[in-house]
Amino acid sequence: MDWDQFDLNPKVIAALKKADIKSIKEILNLSGADLQRLMKLSSADIQCLLKTVSHMLRRNSMLTALQLCQDKDHLTSQHQKLSLGCSVLDTLLKGGIPLVGITELAGESSAGKTQISLQLCLCVQYPYKYGGLESGAVYICTEDVFPSKRLQQLIDQQHKLRVDVPAEIIQKIKFGNSIFVEHAADLDTFHNCITKRISLLLTRGMVRLVVIDSIAALFRCEFGVSDSVMKARYLQTFGAQLHSLSTRFRTPIMCINQVTDAVSESEVAQCSCRPKGIQIQPVNIACWCFWASC
Amino acid sequence: MQREVGSLPLAPALRAKLVAAGFQTAQELLETGPCGLSKELGISKEEALEALQVVRQECHGDAARTAGGSGTTRKCTALELLEEEQAQGFIITFCSALDNILGGGVQLTKITEICGTPGVGKTQLCMQLAVDVQIPECFGGVAGEAVFIDTEGSFMVDRVVDIATACVQHCQLIAEAHQEEDHLKALETFSLESILSHIYYFRCRDYIELLAQVYLLPDFLSEHSKVRLVVVDGIAFPFRHDFEDLSLRTRLLNGLAQQLIIIAHDHKSASHGFRDVQPPAVTQNAEDTEMNPRKRPRREEEK
Repeated sequence: MDWDQFDLNPKVIAALKKADIKSIKEILNLSGADLQRLMKLSSADIQCLLKTVSHMLRRNSMLTALQLCQDKDHLTSQHQKLSLGCSVLDTLLKGGIPLVGITELAGESSAGKTQISLQLCLCVQYPYKYGGLESGAVYICTEDVFPSKRLQQLIDQQHKLRVDVPAEIIQKIKFGNSIFVEHAADLDTFHNCITKRISLLLTRGMVRLVVIDSIAALFRCEFGVSDSVMKARYLQTFGAQLHSLSTRFRTPIMCINQVTDAVSESEVAQCSCRPKGIQIQPVNIACWCFWASC
Repeated sequence: MQREVGSLPLAPALRAKLVAAGFQTAQELLETGPCGLSKELGISKEEALEALQVVRQECHGDAARTAGGSGTTRKCTALELLEEEQAQGFIITFCSALDNILGGGVQLTKITEICGTPGVGKTQLCMQLAVDVQIPECFGGVAGEAVFIDTEGSFMVDRVVDIATACVQHCQLIAEAHQEEDHLKALETFSLESILSHIYYFRCRDYIELLAQVYLLPDFLSEHSKVRLVVVDGIAFPFRHDFEDLSLRTRLLNGLAQQLIIIAHDHKSASHGFRDVQPPAVTQNAEDTEMNPRKRPRREEEK
């Protein structure tokens, strides 16, 4: 770190160099008293140093809620959402799924979760005007083989599914080329995937959506009942890494979670066939540790 | 002038040298002069000159303060403190049950910590408070502004717009029912745009940014003197993962809490920290139960 570029007293800069402090992080990790002892400066000097360094890190970081609300720039606006391609769902979700954060898609088996996520992988490729993000998607499969035949069917029928988009625009997009499929059946492969491979694609701007199908499958087999501590720690780490990727690149992360429904006796008696429910919700990182669904 | 050497704001090593050389009061230092000082302590003349400058400034400041009568060592009785506390306003939460439990609402000059399991409504409550702090005085509010420090990215502007619109409507209904001059006048400036423009939003992506932001907070509050509420949404979130050194984490969190207490007291605002608490089944609880007991004693002292 080049301390000379900071707006500091030369004596303070000399003390920083002498104490071998190399980054702003090191300065902020130490308390005021520790810094005084380390750099042999008075408390007024240390206060000035802390304020200058904090200012350097956080200049121009304030926004008012009004500015957030009025921001219409599709690169920064909170109003920008990823449309699901279905007007009913979009109305329920007030435009679509938010671009920052993890969204969980939970439901029983064969409720339609994979279908929605396949459709999302196609929706993300449309122009901003039609609710897309003009970019590709990464699909991480953790249990089944990727349903490529179904994807092909969806691609062929896009002109019927998306009647709001003109046909020539649909024809121009090469849907298959921008969907990157990964198979990660165990934790290490998954970890490698999200830390190295996805960051590369995100940095190059080639993808603006990550779908994980499904997150619970990774944890179902490898952990016994007594390993819940370890399981929670892994989930917490993955959650944090995904959250940080999502914030850095403004990319929605869609996690599919399979839940089993608790059916009561009276319900079974009433109707033999019930519509299956799907839940879509933004995920608070902390609640990933609740996932005990098996 | 009878200021003890140990209490002067000099570098610790210099203070130690002064005490070892036998200096006890500031007066003795000033009488010795820079040359004598540099010889006795074995320091350079520039350092001695600087030290004497600091001592002179301090003594001058002390004299001004004792002449003025009020300073940081002001004495007051418990009765005066009680009256001061009771005269302060509260920030209402628009939930009468919650307001009753809190004794009127969220108190100013105190830190309020809100913990709960994820999804229970903590962020919603703090967005509500950020709007409620701006209610004009004639409607029972404190007419202040709010600072919102977000570490999780859960601040949804659309939701704040809904909350603010409902609040304005509520106040309009009150004004219609009572038909008073000052109500109608206050409503002219209490609109959706004005509410949104007085919520100052800071997004901190990791704990370093959070620490830096809290260091800058006193200056920000001095510039924006109408701020009455500081919300930190997710004070523990940046510290929860990727922290191998647990003692550093404890120290940093305690330091943050101390700074917020000072800010709350000096600027007469309410500070809010929000934390997630996990239910017993998971590891998180082990970490959280360590942090919780430390935070509770502070709250009890304050409240």
